[in-house]
Amino acid sequence: MGGSSKTLEITVISGENLCVDQKPVTENAYVIVRTESINCCKTSMAREDGGHPSWNEKFLLDMPMHARSITFEVQCKISSGAVRSVGVARIALSDFLGGSVPESSLQFLSYRLRNWHGRRSGVINFSARVKSPEEDLSKDQMKEEKEMMVNCKSGEFENEKNECGVVTGIPVRWNCYK
Amino acid sequence: MGNCCSDVAGGRAAIGGTAGSVHNPADTPNDAVDNFLKSRGYHGLFSQIELSFSASGLRDRDVLSKSDPMMVLYARGKNGALEEIGRTEVVLNSLNPTWITKHTLIYHFEVVQVLVFRVYDVDTQFHNVDVKMLKLEEQQFLGEATCALSEIITKPDQSLTLDLQGEDSTRSTHSQNCGKLVVHAEECVNSKTSVEIIFRCSDLEYRDLFSKSDPFLLILKVVEGGTQIPICKTEVVKNDLHPLWKSVFLNIQQVGGKDRPLIIECYNFNSNGKHDLMGKVQKSLAELEKLYLGGQGEKLFLPTGSGQNYHNKLLKSQLYLDKFTECVQHTFLDYLAGGFELNFMVAIDFTASNGNPRLPDSLHYIDPSGRPNAYQRAILEVGEVLQFHDTDKRFPTWGFGARPIDGPVSHCFNLNGSSHYCEVEGIQGIMMAYTSALLNVSLAGPTLFGPVITNAALIASQSATDNGRKYFVLLIITDGVVTDLQETKDALVKASDLPLSILIVGVGGADFKEMEILDADKGERLESSSGRVASRDIVQFVPFRDVQNGEISVVQALLAELPSQFLTYMRSRKIQPNL
Repeated sequence: MGGSSKTLEITVISGENLCVDQKPVTENAYVIVRTESINCCKTSMAREDGGHPSWNEKFLLDMPMHARSITFEVQCKISSGAVRSVGVARIALSDFLGGSVPESSLQFLSYRLRNWHGRRSGVINFSARVKSPEEDLSKDQMKEEKEMMVNCKSGEFENEKNECGVVTGIPVRWNCYK
Repeated sequence: MGNCCSDVAGGRAAIGGTAGSVHNPADTPNDAVDNFLKSRGYHGLFSQIELSFSASGLRDRDVLSKSDPMMVLYARGKNGALEEIGRTEVVLNSLNPTWITKHTLIYHFEVVQVLVFRVYDVDTQFHNVDVKMLKLEEQQFLGEATCALSEIITKPDQSLTLDLQGEDSTRSTHSQNCGKLVVHAEECVNSKTSVEIIFRCSDLEYRDLFSKSDPFLLILKVVEGGTQIPICKTEVVKNDLHPLWKSVFLNIQQVGGKDRPLIIECYNFNSNGKHDLMGKVQKSLAELEKLYLGGQGEKLFLPTGSGQNYHNKLLKSQLYLDKFTECVQHTFLDYLAGGFELNFMVAIDFTASNGNPRLPDSLHYIDPSGRPNAYQRAILEVGEVLQFHDTDKRFPTWGFGARPIDGPVSHCFNLNGSSHYCEVEGIQGIMMAYTSALLNVSLAGPTLFGPVITNAALIASQSATDNGRKYFVLLIITDGVVTDLQETKDALVKASDLPLSILIVGVGGADFKEMEILDADKGERLESSSGRVASRDIVQFVPFRDVQNGEISVVQALLAELPSQFLTYMRSRKIQPNL
């Protein structure tokens, strides 16, 4: 998929009332942010909790042209080393972009997290802004910003040519392989 | 581990409270005054304002020398009665006096505080008499002026120049040339600067039997006389000899200045409440700042020995500062002085449930004797307070739930009848547009708030992107329960990130229980149908009640919350007043 993709500047601020199995999440919660691609951004683990961790970390996410949603997933690492999912907020980009507020102005947003069973498991607070390409004036600046992105590729296969991580498939007639 | 008897959780909590300060000069605010006022129903933000006065061009009343002016300050109550609240001193022989006596009063955002100033020329025979004993009838009246306190505060330099009127205001020639009076308002500087500090310790001693110590810090200030008063406590860090505590916030005014000596004591937490002292440091804030800048640590000492052999044993443990920043918290009046405005918008319910406006039992009935109906009273109460904060005095006014002439039912039509612009001029303009709209529309239904809120949000977002220093207040007056609850919630959640506050006033006798869901104080945070949660609580709802004598009107109680909503928005976006 070619064309210019927009860059979304997201600051993951904090979470509220995060709970797993009706018990508040006590430690080691972190957030994974992705916009419909394999690339995602991960925050560090929050130090002190009580169900209200705060991260205050800024990321620059490339929004591929086909992306229509952004997903925030909160996970926590429990003492045995296993990872538990606290909740997911899958947000349509049209819900906060493209309205009466211009895209480049900073918005503070809060969304409901729901766990695997569909029950409420907290609220995620973040701020979002679309960064226009004219803002990246010098190459040095762009280099710095690329370093800020923490890439965690969750899949083993990396498609070098297609950076968005989208697989393009061409339907083939089944019968011709008989 | 002995958790049953003691308040372990409470003991571990970080406290940033104030201890009663030993010194409390009479004119600085203190917690007791705050609590007293809160118990009397004065909610919300109120600050102490100090007024200073000067005059120019006064009339010369004395024969051989110039006038000896003195100013008397009155407050005008709701019924028009004047109550004297202060007098300045007498300035001898001057027609352009600057009085030294200042008057402090409390600024209430939600009330229109009318002040009356009267200048008198004090006769020579009374010159040595105490100002308070002077009888005003025996003095010569020089002039009078009136204004509202909000008018002074919202001026850019917080000074208002008033023309003094003579006694006989009917004779216009006489009221000229009585001079001018300049009133200047200043907020009593109160706790604006705080310091945020992160403490760290290294090499603390082992104090617990089977584990490492659980240290916490206690910060005390030393007042004159040697007494030590605790101001602040950090949280307890378990099992750590090199602890790093969370930030503590110290208010410079509370500490008493940057050079006041502070004692920082490090204790080992014991669940039986008998914490043992592991060491202490005595430094002032200025010295702590030097430590931080130099990156050095300070060795803790432990007072040992008793009686005459008392000496301080220096320990290996050291105290470091990982952060030392000063931050200024601006007050509401700072933003007003910086040119921020509060813009008033009104939306009136024209649904058929109000009743036929021509019949006296309708909520929209305009009484020919001039007695305002519930809608007019609500508009006046809110508008009279907010009008001073809007420089151009143009208020967007809408109606909803009615059919304008030859049109379909509209849920957001301009009350002034125009289709291009929605604003009217002044509170009088709102009243006129309201009464004329009653004749020109036919009441219909249902009660929908969505379109009005979306319209107001549009205006607010346009102003926010223009980097305007405007905050919008939308007043919705309705007689019934809203029909489109989910759409209203969606519109409110979308607007929660904008510089907008919504006051919903319910008139009439309907049961407004369902509407209380919209007010997050009484319910949960609003959630839209797309899963978005309101970033802040922007709605206040109250059913309109007639005021009994002496009570604060419910609408005024709503208005009292506005400065805090305004400050929450500005602080969360780190918008400074740019003085």
